[in-house]
Amino acid sequence: MSALHIKHLFGLRGVSQSDIRTILDTAMDFRQVLERPVKKVPSLRGVTVVNLFFENSTRTRTSFELAEKRLSADTINFTSSNSSVKKGETLLDTLRNIEAMKIDLVVVRHKGTGVPQFLADNSQAIIVNAGDGAHEHPTQALLDMLTIEQHLGSLKNKRITIIGDIRHSRVARSNLWGLTTMGAQVTLCAPSTLTPRNREFFNGVHFEQDVRKAVHEADAVIALRLQKERMDDSLLPSMREYRNFFGITREVLEQASPSALIMHPGPINRGVELDSEMADSDQSVILEQVTNGVAVRMAVLFLLSGGRASE
Amino acid sequence: MNKVILKNVRPFIDGAFQTPTTMNLVEGRWVDESIEGATEIDAKGALALPALFALGLDFQEPLRDDIYTFQNGYTAMRRGGFYGGIYESTANPIDNVQKLSAIQQVFSKSGLHLSILGAFSKHHMCEQLSEMLELASCGVCGFGDGNHLNATTRFLRLAMEYGAMTSKRFFFLPLDLSLRCAGCVHEGDVADVLGMKGIPRIAETIVVHTILETALFLNVPIHLKQITCSESLNLIEQARARGLDVTCDVGLYHLLFDDQAIFNLDSHYYIIPPLRTPKDKEALWDGLKRGVIDAISCNHTPVLRQEKEVNFEDAVAGAISLEVALPAIWSTLVDHVGERRALDLLSFNPAKIASAMPQKIEKGTIVNLVLLDPKEQSQVTPEKLAGAVRNTPLLNAQLPSAIKGSYIHGVWTQV
Repeated sequence: MSALHIKHLFGLRGVSQSDIRTILDTAMDFRQVLERPVKKVPSLRGVTVVNLFFENSTRTRTSFELAEKRLSADTINFTSSNSSVKKGETLLDTLRNIEAMKIDLVVVRHKGTGVPQFLADNSQAIIVNAGDGAHEHPTQALLDMLTIEQHLGSLKNKRITIIGDIRHSRVARSNLWGLTTMGAQVTLCAPSTLTPRNREFFNGVHFEQDVRKAVHEADAVIALRLQKERMDDSLLPSMREYRNFFGITREVLEQASPSALIMHPGPINRGVELDSEMADSDQSVILEQVTNGVAVRMAVLFLLSGGRASE
Repeated sequence: MNKVILKNVRPFIDGAFQTPTTMNLVEGRWVDESIEGATEIDAKGALALPALFALGLDFQEPLRDDIYTFQNGYTAMRRGGFYGGIYESTANPIDNVQKLSAIQQVFSKSGLHLSILGAFSKHHMCEQLSEMLELASCGVCGFGDGNHLNATTRFLRLAMEYGAMTSKRFFFLPLDLSLRCAGCVHEGDVADVLGMKGIPRIAETIVVHTILETALFLNVPIHLKQITCSESLNLIEQARARGLDVTCDVGLYHLLFDDQAIFNLDSHYYIIPPLRTPKDKEALWDGLKRGVIDAISCNHTPVLRQEKEVNFEDAVAGAISLEVALPAIWSTLVDHVGERRALDLLSFNPAKIASAMPQKIEKGTIVNLVLLDPKEQSQVTPEKLAGAVRNTPLLNAQLPSAIKGSYIHGVWTQV
């Protein structure tokens, strides 16, 4: 049996505190493995994992692939650009063909909300969401939580501020579900065109449009990448105004706790959402997030396939 | 001339015009003590109204200073009794802080209170948002469409949604440009008789509805400029009942004229939105009485003589009004709504819409006032109009009352 109550990882909304705790604790163990000279364990030997990426990804795909290799899984990379999807194959047919090859676990990224759930409904494989539309990106949030815990201890009552394109961010959504489940106080800060308008389901989350107020006494500040497309979409007037009113600068960060962590899921637009000085400062834990990404993904893959691995 | 003694004048204090008194004015202030070297003026029982606040100012400078200049505008304001107004440049949209700061610098020397409306889109093109946060932090009083709303509904929503962060009011001239097409008069009997292209009421009401629904959705305060028909007023009333902070104004000439005036084919009556029917005009007066309409706007639009002295349809739309507005409308307005409400419509409410301080006449304080003789007629002669433009349908008309002068920011202007 798996140590988790969930069979798949679609997102963090609705995932219990104990499951998140288990993942984070396991990730912490794998973090130790990554420090060893031989960074490999046999936990997923004989398990086949397909990385099914319908959207471009470098970091997340590399991180998952590395996690799979560290766990000794057999991995297959499938990207839409070099597949039959380009020839018009449906999502379901793609899945059935891959599944016919007797795979165990699918890591999927897709531009559509709910695709991981759809795959799970139509397959026997275990599904891990590596990002679906603007819905969820659970492993990114888990690695963010792991990073915060490493520096600040328990997440309970920690003040975490997320700044940026909340409305279109799967990272923000997964983070706010996960962080609030773990007892953190989450503040979201964005221009009104990039903020969710309907907040019925965002219980306990604080919304703030003044970036200085948003980071006031924050223990960690997560800046989100601003897509240049938002200007073309008329959602923002300019990078310049965004930087002036929502960018993380030294002056803005002075409002936060003196030891506040600076985080970013990458890649960074330096001088837009985050000043270089801040990105490279001692408070920045951005590269640690990347390292923790591998550990968290190892934990997720290991725990979800745990029952099978023990067979 | 900043020291003036106004004798035999009836100032508007505590909601009513007082019995004739003397006002000693020095350095902009009404003082108790007598003043040396002051110019004495016998007002002969004229009314001293709190100076007016204009909606719809555009002095064309710097890009079209061949038509009109800032100085012409200031002169017109003082002659017409306006201490301030909302300025919105259509040719040179205030869509960045550089332009804003340049125009603020110019206005700082005007001795008038000019509130600047920023553009919510770059170049008023409704394709890219302007830097509204920065404009707001640098002092615009709201955001406007440059009287040319060619936004998709999506862009309108995004502009209002983004601008909502500033808590500033959005100003719109509700006119569907595709329905207007080449129309220049109201689409009705007169247009049909004359064979002229018309602009239907729905060109206004459809946009009013869209703006109101969007503003309600986003909870953004808005101002609708130059409403012309009862259908729009009904929509505004309904939106207010649903909790929206919406103000609106009606143009001076829409209260004075209707499309019957078009029969003479005088291009001075070519204004946008167009003069509508006598029934529409009646509905606007009714809207003033019922309190649906918050303000009377000037829409002071200078047009060169050669651009008016052509056939109606080829003329440039617009009319100037600053010098003539008060004497043209005061008596009729007071007859309809009373003195207090008349001042609400011409002075207090427009100032509030611009988030400016409404004027008050009170001894011991700074006062800005306009002296009006409601019983003396006055003729609109060309020399009474500032600059070289003459484009008012009231040119050479006899007005029912007369402005005698204004005392604004410590300067007496004899008219």
